[in-house]
Amino acid sequence: MNKRSPFATFMLYATASLWAFVCLFPLYWLVTTSFKPPLAVSRVPTYFPYLAAQERPTPVVNNIFFTPTLDHWNFLFDEQRDITLRHLRNSVIAAVFSTIGATVIGAMAGYGLSRFRYYWNRMNWKNDNIAYWIISQRFLPPATIIVPFVMIYGALGWTDTHWGLILAYTSFNIPFAVWIMRDFFNSLPIDLEESARVDGATRWQTFFRIVLPLATPGLVTVALFSFVFSWNEYLFSLMLTSFDAITMPVYIAGQNNTRGVEWWYIAALTMVMIAPVMFIGLFLQRYIARGLVAGALKG
Amino acid sequence: MATSSEIRPLSSAEDDSLKRELREDTIFKRIFLSPAVTILLLLSIFPLLWSLGVSFTNFQRNAAQQAAQAAGTAEPSGFLGLGFDLTLENYQRVFTDEHLHTTMRNTLLYVVVGVAVQYSLGLGLAALLNQKFFGQTFFRLVFILPMMITPVAAAYLGRMMFERAPPSALSHLTTTVGRLFGNPNLNIPWFTDPGLAPFTMVIIDSWQWIPFMILLLLAGMQSIPEEIYEAARVDGANSWNAFWGITFPILLPISLTAILIRGLELFKLVDIVRVTTGGGPGIATEPLVMYVFRTALDFGNFGYAAAISYILLILVVLFSTIFLGFSRRVQKQQLGVES
Repeated sequence: MNKRSPFATFMLYATASLWAFVCLFPLYWLVTTSFKPPLAVSRVPTYFPYLAAQERPTPVVNNIFFTPTLDHWNFLFDEQRDITLRHLRNSVIAAVFSTIGATVIGAMAGYGLSRFRYYWNRMNWKNDNIAYWIISQRFLPPATIIVPFVMIYGALGWTDTHWGLILAYTSFNIPFAVWIMRDFFNSLPIDLEESARVDGATRWQTFFRIVLPLATPGLVTVALFSFVFSWNEYLFSLMLTSFDAITMPVYIAGQNNTRGVEWWYIAALTMVMIAPVMFIGLFLQRYIARGLVAGALKG
Repeated sequence: MATSSEIRPLSSAEDDSLKRELREDTIFKRIFLSPAVTILLLLSIFPLLWSLGVSFTNFQRNAAQQAAQAAGTAEPSGFLGLGFDLTLENYQRVFTDEHLHTTMRNTLLYVVVGVAVQYSLGLGLAALLNQKFFGQTFFRLVFILPMMITPVAAAYLGRMMFERAPPSALSHLTTTVGRLFGNPNLNIPWFTDPGLAPFTMVIIDSWQWIPFMILLLLAGMQSIPEEIYEAARVDGANSWNAFWGITFPILLPISLTAILIRGLELFKLVDIVRVTTGGGPGIATEPLVMYVFRTALDFGNFGYAAAISYILLILVVLFSTIFLGFSRRVQKQQLGVES
């Protein structure tokens, strides 16, 4: 069955290991940097933690080893606690509420598009046209609508508010949510709903008691994706916030030009930022490919 | 009465309930769809049209006015860009603005080179993961790891890898190699050379998004039935021939989709550039999106920023149209060959 030559097997593992190294090394560097004393970052590259630090404290820096320290983490969550937590909170607020909004609205529209017949006679649009119109919004470059956003938010006083960001993020996530939920409802058999209706349940009761519980896997998928998209968003947070509502990506990107680049803090902050999305990503592994092409593939 | 009830299939009570239900459904279905449509109209279509309008005005705002606006103390003149002169100036400027042309070239370079690099490496690595070998699951997980982190984080990782200022492992390697070849000061200017810096951006973006290609292409490869390969093997095809003769053509539709999506995403690239080079050296790495927000925020020229953003939109639409036309033709050819 397996007719691979030893050489081919060797090449296979060599290539796989090489690429795995390319993928992992930057992350390793990130994690270790957050534990390195500043000198071990800025003078020479150091690779491995020297764990028996207490026994041999003298060489803080040599070419290979560094003495790990928790100073930077302490700084971020002790001295700078309020600042760090404020930005983290901003990110959580923006991501969580926009996720809720997009999931609820997306589930409703998805259900509607899957179960009812719509017809807009002005354009001769039916369900599919409406669905394509909605998903096409996802491919609109956000930069095209950023200028009016800045102007309108400025005029309404929504700049730098949580509400503003939540609203913007919700609107980004809706096309995706609608599309996934429509797919999901299309794959749900209609029989259960019909029998519930025959038994005398109203439309609302059917939706809340029968349909939504059945749709939980779809809802969870949509919610997690929306959360990740909102969490990672950069451009709108950059343009629409200035102090109070700044989210983690913009905060960390701004570390660039204050007090020089303090890599050890950036590394720790970055780890805090990517931890939740990475966790979700591993959880979502199977759905990622499908989620990212939502709307571009039929079915 | 009896006859008429035969003609009319529903009793009046049933008819009422049906009517009620239909009416309820009409209301119901509108309630369900309208929030999504309303939000999209208000926050997507309306800004899009507004942006078009602003792009024909000389709407400008200096830093002081902007700060006043942010603080809510601005005098109410020129609400929302109304009361400004209509002008074609912004679009005339588009043709002569060297800065814009450079950023357009950068964006196109990111799209074309980025897509090419990501697709070819993604295809190779997906083919690798499609083999049966011990540790396959582990490698699969590791390969898609970069995709799961925030783009800003990927940009910082890129800086940590390529920058010389805090000495990185890569610069360590470069100097070591340089010393071996008698040039102890060997240094690759990843971020500071105007010719090389855009490609460094592509490398960083590719590091993060090759996993996307891997995932899609691998899913496609795994859906190809084994029998096709068996048949080809019987006919004497080696695995190289089988890959280009079977796998690649079957993957073509999904490949085109993946390329389209990555291309559209690359048009939006901005965070990596902002974190690593800030557009520099000079404007050698500045993408179109960054020029839009710099024109708006730094220079306060909202009219021109809107015009540039429309140039971006035109590029995106052109790209998708050409690409979709191209992929339709390729697929048609494919079908012609197969049948």
